[in-house]
Amino acid sequence: MHKCNLDVEISKLSKIEGHADLDIKIRDGKLEEVNLKVMENVRFFNQAAVGMNANAVPQLVSRICGTCSIAHLTGCIEAVEKTLGILPSEQTMLLRKLTVYSMMIRDHALHLYFFVMPDMLGIDSLLDVPDDKHDLIHDALAVKEAGNNLSELVAGRAVHAPFEQVGGFSREIDAAKVPEIVTQLKNIRPTVLKLIDIFANCDWKFERKTNFVALVTPDFSFLEGKIKSSDGKEIEEKDYWDHLHQVVLPYSQAAGFDFDGKEYMVGALARLNLNKKNLHKSTKRDAAKYLAKFPSENVYDNNLAQAIEILHSIDHSVEILEKNKFVKESPAKPAKLSGKGAGAIEAPRGTLYYALEIEEGKAKSLKLVIPTAQNLVNMKKDVEQIVSGLCATGTDKEELEKKIIFEVSKLIRAYDPCMSCASHFLRVRWK
Amino acid sequence: MPEKSKKRVGIFSLTCDEGCSIMLTEIFNKKLVGWLEKMELVYFLAVKNHTDFHNLDIALVEGVVTSKKDREMIEKIRKNTKVLIAMGMCAMTALPSGQRNNFNIGQLKEIEGHLEKYDFLPKALALKEAVKVDDEIMGCPIDEEKFVGVFEKYL
Repeated sequence: MHKCNLDVEISKLSKIEGHADLDIKIRDGKLEEVNLKVMENVRFFNQAAVGMNANAVPQLVSRICGTCSIAHLTGCIEAVEKTLGILPSEQTMLLRKLTVYSMMIRDHALHLYFFVMPDMLGIDSLLDVPDDKHDLIHDALAVKEAGNNLSELVAGRAVHAPFEQVGGFSREIDAAKVPEIVTQLKNIRPTVLKLIDIFANCDWKFERKTNFVALVTPDFSFLEGKIKSSDGKEIEEKDYWDHLHQVVLPYSQAAGFDFDGKEYMVGALARLNLNKKNLHKSTKRDAAKYLAKFPSENVYDNNLAQAIEILHSIDHSVEILEKNKFVKESPAKPAKLSGKGAGAIEAPRGTLYYALEIEEGKAKSLKLVIPTAQNLVNMKKDVEQIVSGLCATGTDKEELEKKIIFEVSKLIRAYDPCMSCASHFLRVRWK
Repeated sequence: MPEKSKKRVGIFSLTCDEGCSIMLTEIFNKKLVGWLEKMELVYFLAVKNHTDFHNLDIALVEGVVTSKKDREMIEKIRKNTKVLIAMGMCAMTALPSGQRNNFNIGQLKEIEGHLEKYDFLPKALALKEAVKVDDEIMGCPIDEEKFVGVFEKYL
């Protein structure tokens, strides 16, 4: 075995959301240190929200993240509503499900086609795809567009959706446009089944015993349910914070978390591991052979799980749109103007928790827990195991560096991390 | 392979939520195939790792100049591009990163350790406060029609 010293520095990891660096230190052929550094500059939303009209906070925190803005908007709206005793109507809940599904379709598609697929094809970018696989670019754009158009129909826009508000939606769905959207969703179904098959046949494997945590919802709609873990815990959404502990990561603008003292993974893989029985019946029928893979401890099955979630999001959206007539409604009213409350939803990358304190209609404090921050400790431990394994193969230094960069980037991408989000956390006191 | 007749385009994100980049990937749904006949995308970390940002014809920049690193980056982009376009409200107005510019003493006290540790500038800046900007695209995120209108002028 070579006893090499090697410092691997990956600066600005590409094909993820936001900016992250990774430093790996190897001494005498052994891994000494992994530093995963979230380099996204903090924008101090927690502080800025204080004193704002509580109804305006959701549109502000939407700006935490471009790609999953709908998750921040929806999660924060839920926290405001729970704090002030606002009960959204049945129709509002259906519209919220559609809004979240529209995000899942386009956000997962962006990750799978543009971030992950190039590693599978051995190319740098999907834009460099060889001519015989050019259909993949068209598939990617068609699936994303169907999600984007569903966002526009229900919530006005895919990024920073204007119609979704505290207590309800500010505009009703344009019924004349529904058939076209339904057709578009049905048309991409075969494309998504092809995508599922591609990821089911991917031979990437990385396993390390860990704990999976997700909000388990009765119709797999990402919004209301109980938080469960693969080691058998079951808790209410509002109590989630009590089970989390912040882990400070040196040199990083984000902090990590553990759940009841253990590192854990949130996201599509956790959801499928804990809740596949509640997927839409059409999804279960057509993806049956792929669903047999879950529960899975292979981190790369997070990609397969996302692809299956796209199918579910299509199937449930089509059912909601076909079975319901949407009417104009006025927003639900608050029962009080002061209080403390919290809510959790499943964002594309995992459980997103918002807690608020409101006084006379104004935000007094805001705290949030972001999926990527929850995955950071798990991700770091996975990277350590991969690098230790590669060191033990005795590959020469140059080859080892190349392999580490490729394998580690590939693994981190499988988590679909979002660094823009991860840099937003509670307060950390420096020094 | 570099193609001389195509415009070299780079897409950059400073401090922000990258919502304009995401919106741009949605605008791509209909427009990308046509635009690729006229442009070569040489820098866009969201979709590619191999990056080169010398001799750019068009740089699209989203986000705010909030740290010394951001300032170095925007100066480097400016030096290497013919046209620099500020994309979205962050780049145009410095908000919401610039929320901190108006913080009171109590709020500033809470964040001062972080500002110092990560080399933040005293104030968060819009792009035009740091370098010369040739054009701007409004919206949070960018408005599709405005983007197409401005971008195609230079393509």
